Amino acid sequence: MRYAFWPGCVSRGACPELFEAVVRVSDRLGIEMIELKEASCTGAGVLSEQNPELADTLNGRTFAMAEKLGLPLMNICSTCQGVQGRINYKFQNDATYLSRINERLAEEGLHYSGNLEIKNFLWVLVEDVGLDKLRSMVVRPLRGLNIAPFYGCYILRPSKELGYAEHPERGKYLEKVIEVLGAEPVDFYGKSKCCGFPIVTMNRRNSLAMAGDHLLEAKSKGADAMVTPCPLCHLNLDAQQPDAAGIKGQPIGLPILHLPQLVGLALGIDPEAMRLNNHIVSTEAVTEKLKVKV
Amino acid sequence: MLEHDVLVVGAGLAGLRVAIEAQKQGVDVAVITKVHPVRSHSNAAQGGINAALEQEGSPDSWEAHAFDTVKGSDYLGDQDAIEIICREAGPEIIELEHMGVVFNRDETGHLGVRAFGGATYSRTFFVGDITGQALLHVMYEQVLKANTRIYEEWFVTSLIVEDGVCRGVVAMDLATRRLHTIKAKAVVLATGGAGRVFEPSTNALIVTGDGISQAYRAGAPLMDMEMVQFHPTTLKQNGALLTEGARGEGAYLLNAEGERFLGNERNQFYAPSKMELAARDVISRAEQIEIDAGRGVDGCVLLDCRHLGEDLIRERLWQIWELAMDFANVDIMKDPVPIRPGVHYIMGGIKTDVDGRAWDVNGGGWGGVKGLFAVGECACINAHGANRLGANSLLETVVYGRRAGLTAGFYVKEAPTALLSEAKMADDESRIKEIISRPDNGDRWAALRLEMGEMMNSQVGIFRTKENLEGALEKIQEMKLRYRHVPIQNKGNIFNTDLQFHLELGLMLDCAEVIALSALSREESRGAHYRLDFPARDDEKWLKHTMAYYTPEGPEMDTLPVTITQWEPTERKY
Amino acid sequence: MQVSLRVRRFDPESNQGPYYQTYSMDAPDYYTVLDALIHIREETDGTLGLRCSCRSAICGSCAMRIDGHAKLACKTKIIDLTADGGEVTVEPVGNMPVVKDLIADMKPFWDKIRAVDPWLQPEGPEPEREYVVPNEAMQDLAGAMNCIMCGACVSDCTVLEAELNRGVPVEKTWLAPAALAKAYRFVGDPRDDHQYDRLEKLSDSGGIWDCTHCFECIEVCPKGVAPMDRIMALRDKAVSAGITNNNGTRHAKAFHDSIKAYGRLDEVTLVPKSVGFFNIRELLPQMPTGLRMLKAGKLRLPHKAENKKKIKQIVDSLDKEQME
Repeated sequence: MRYAFWPGCVSRGACPELFEAVVRVSDRLGIEMIELKEASCTGAGVLSEQNPELADTLNGRTFAMAEKLGLPLMNICSTCQGVQGRINYKFQNDATYLSRINERLAEEGLHYSGNLEIKNFLWVLVEDVGLDKLRSMVVRPLRGLNIAPFYGCYILRPSKELGYAEHPERGKYLEKVIEVLGAEPVDFYGKSKCCGFPIVTMNRRNSLAMAGDHLLEAKSKGADAMVTPCPLCHLNLDAQQPDAAGIKGQPIGLPILHLPQLVGLALGIDPEAMRLNNHIVSTEAVTEKLKVKV
Repeated sequence: MLEHDVLVVGAGLAGLRVAIEAQKQGVDVAVITKVHPVRSHSNAAQGGINAALEQEGSPDSWEAHAFDTVKGSDYLGDQDAIEIICREAGPEIIELEHMGVVFNRDETGHLGVRAFGGATYSRTFFVGDITGQALLHVMYEQVLKANTRIYEEWFVTSLIVEDGVCRGVVAMDLATRRLHTIKAKAVVLATGGAGRVFEPSTNALIVTGDGISQAYRAGAPLMDMEMVQFHPTTLKQNGALLTEGARGEGAYLLNAEGERFLGNERNQFYAPSKMELAARDVISRAEQIEIDAGRGVDGCVLLDCRHLGEDLIRERLWQIWELAMDFANVDIMKDPVPIRPGVHYIMGGIKTDVDGRAWDVNGGGWGGVKGLFAVGECACINAHGANRLGANSLLETVVYGRRAGLTAGFYVKEAPTALLSEAKMADDESRIKEIISRPDNGDRWAALRLEMGEMMNSQVGIFRTKENLEGALEKIQEMKLRYRHVPIQNKGNIFNTDLQFHLELGLMLDCAEVIALSALSREESRGAHYRLDFPARDDEKWLKHTMAYYTPEGPEMDTLPVTITQWEPTERKY
Repeated sequence: MQVSLRVRRFDPESNQGPYYQTYSMDAPDYYTVLDALIHIREETDGTLGLRCSCRSAICGSCAMRIDGHAKLACKTKIIDLTADGGEVTVEPVGNMPVVKDLIADMKPFWDKIRAVDPWLQPEGPEPEREYVVPNEAMQDLAGAMNCIMCGACVSDCTVLEAELNRGVPVEKTWLAPAALAKAYRFVGDPRDDHQYDRLEKLSDSGGIWDCTHCFECIEVCPKGVAPMDRIMALRDKAVSAGITNNNGTRHAKAFHDSIKAYGRLDEVTLVPKSVGFFNIRELLPQMPTGLRMLKAGKLRLPHKAENKKKIKQIVDSLDKEQME
């Protein structure tokens, strides 16, 4: 299993623990990743507000780089998945537009055919690695842990452009993975809602209230921790959690794990190597329950 | 007691247009509607709105439009009304455009047109295939701008007529079931058609002939009620409409053998020269003949859009692509879609003059109710005669909406204020209480409505006979008796739709009766009215309108002459 | 097929709170959720309250939550939701008060529509004939005019939900997707002469910059209006019109500049750049987050793309093109 790998800005910035975790977990699972070091930020949908064609060109460039390697593209960020998926859909359904983009890419000697497969790590886990194989590699079952899956938006919507017609089960993958790892998924309403991150600077109160609502709901349903495939959600749910608690007027204290960290724990990877102590909200509750030392 | 100068009943395109115009006259206007305005059935008009807009180099003229309309009406339309609607169409389109309607344009940025059935020239202005919706929403914007009082989700239970003058209505606030008397110097009915009298029908569930029946009971005569239009292209499953615009853009009608049957000379009813763009009655009849002769596909014929191409379908026929996909599981880009004729529109309705007055100002000898106006599908100004041309209905709502609004505005300035009792409200209250208190006898209004609708479709449908019509009338009498004992399950006050639908059914039974009796009385075939026992048009005896008057014993029939200005009846061929 | 409809019931005239009632039936394959509800209302339970009219996705009456998401009941086939013997959950729309059963009070929805001055405002003398405008502009607007005001997008709007959850009075909540899509229809109309005023008002708090970009409205819109895309287009138009003195614009610009400089996003300076470096009032509340992140080793120098010069070239050239 080889992939062109787009780590996203956040795993190389404010969430280095995500990068560390995915590298180790992929190694364990036999996923070979060729990092696209020259690729740019996807623009996270924000860049397209100002200059859609710029965002499309930059992403087309990334796709062309992956295609040049002859590999599918893997990302570890829901937001990247959403933006890349949507732009790829646009290219696939508008040949004239794609050829205009290709004219620009030609200056760099790049060309994009429109046929790239783009997959978030979560989809790779379920569709390419396979749940059976994943189960067979679990050495430290996460027994006794109640994990709330938090999808966030961009790995779910817009479903049409993210291939849900062909893969209707993608909206249940987190639960499946949690189960395979030996933990118990916690069902809650907010799991597919927005974490609030995109408006943290525009409407901080709403942003924090969104995070707070989901965190408290998951907690009230018995979650020991929450897992997310999106580092931006992670920022709002983890780094902003103390402030979200402030807005909601009650303590929260719910550890938030990146998806690869959760997988890594079950595969027996050292929590410290995945920098579980790098979080704002302590993850000790998780490691203690699993009786692993950090 | 609530009080307004002009009270408009119904908030579809006609009603809102009336309100805007009346309000411009500086009088106090309110609109009452049983659904939120943008839920009204004007939404469902897809294809467009006709006007011979004067353009340099265009051979079209309002006279040409008028002639097409007269011919379309099979010479039953009143030609004064037709002249007005066609002459005023152009300015009305421009006004709609200025209000904000996002009409499709041609390559020069001017208003674009498409072809439509029964028209000599392309003169149908359109917004994709959502023209009705686009117009209705813009008209609602204008009402918001004018800050018009709207009683939303209020259901009129009766008109109040005292001394031959309409003085207001009794209405039920559906959210509370409370009855109110609303006093008004002029009541303008814009309540739409009566399509749900038939099952299936392209019409929305709300199209239950309320205003038609209420005006009739209040003493206003109904005209040409036998003229019920079957639309040639409706989906089998739920009766949903696929616009004539599809054929306007070039779609074909095929039988099971893949033949464009309208071109076939084997039947006098077909349309070898206009083909798919003949008038609706002609095409519906031809389709039914094909189906009955075993050349259909599962009770349908086929509408073929494949050759129109994806781009055109995307830009201009997107809604019907979705409808066919959702309700027939057919991608019209790839396959022909099965369709059949379905009840769509009633040409007849509350008799009015060309200003929407439902009373006889000019001594025509037809009576009516002073202070009562009607406009849109519920009215019979008689611009459509025996068959309405596609895209003339939206036009009627705005042209005659404006005229009625203007006239009503003037009328109320002169009208004296009268005292009004709440006796009618008390009557309605006890009528409703009686329905609520009925013991369960196992019967349901829904069962009765379905029976009525299916019976009307089979016995008062495209092909009619004396025997069938008499049978229908007999059944309607039985149904009316049965209706008096039908109970309701819901005894509550908040949004009691059980009660509302029960009341509507009572109104529909009136419409059904008048439609059947009018059809029985017209012993000829003309436009949408086809009698197997009288297969020819009979200008000598029947170049006239049927008129139905309410009496407690049942409708009393009469006739009125057709107004002819410049087009003498000749043979009608497409 | 055998199917059970689990319907959320509520009758304010009873003393009972909301509850779920399950109706089982043998539904033909072509049945939509609306067909099933009408069947229940007509044949088994006349007390069930719902709005519906056209049955063909044009009147907008029958929006409701079906299996948790807002949909038009008339456009949703049961067979697409569940297998034989399955269950479908039907609830009223969200974010609006429930009046009875599946009927919600749409007043908040209409108030928001009203708040964007939803009518064309041309200035100057009217032309004698139609306004001459390109068909493409009309086509774009017709896409927005496709909106049937069903309220599905408002029902499932996550921002509105968060505001209502934290007790913001409904009249103070943000404009939400439908009203903003409606606003777009005028801002994008070449015949309207109040685009700047409209955009200025829309750029205020509670307007276009409050959208959290969650795609829920695009996902649930039954008519392909894609309200969120319209909101993004409004943002672009506002910025192009020079209405930039807000956190939203600064946030977008910071994003852009970071990509231009590093090829990557630099979250560290994103917040201060968005609220303004000297905006103490707004920066202060963010400080604890920053400090916490610093302590956890999460604040680092920006990561840079290799060969970032190439990215800058692309940014510059496309920005230049856009300016022209």
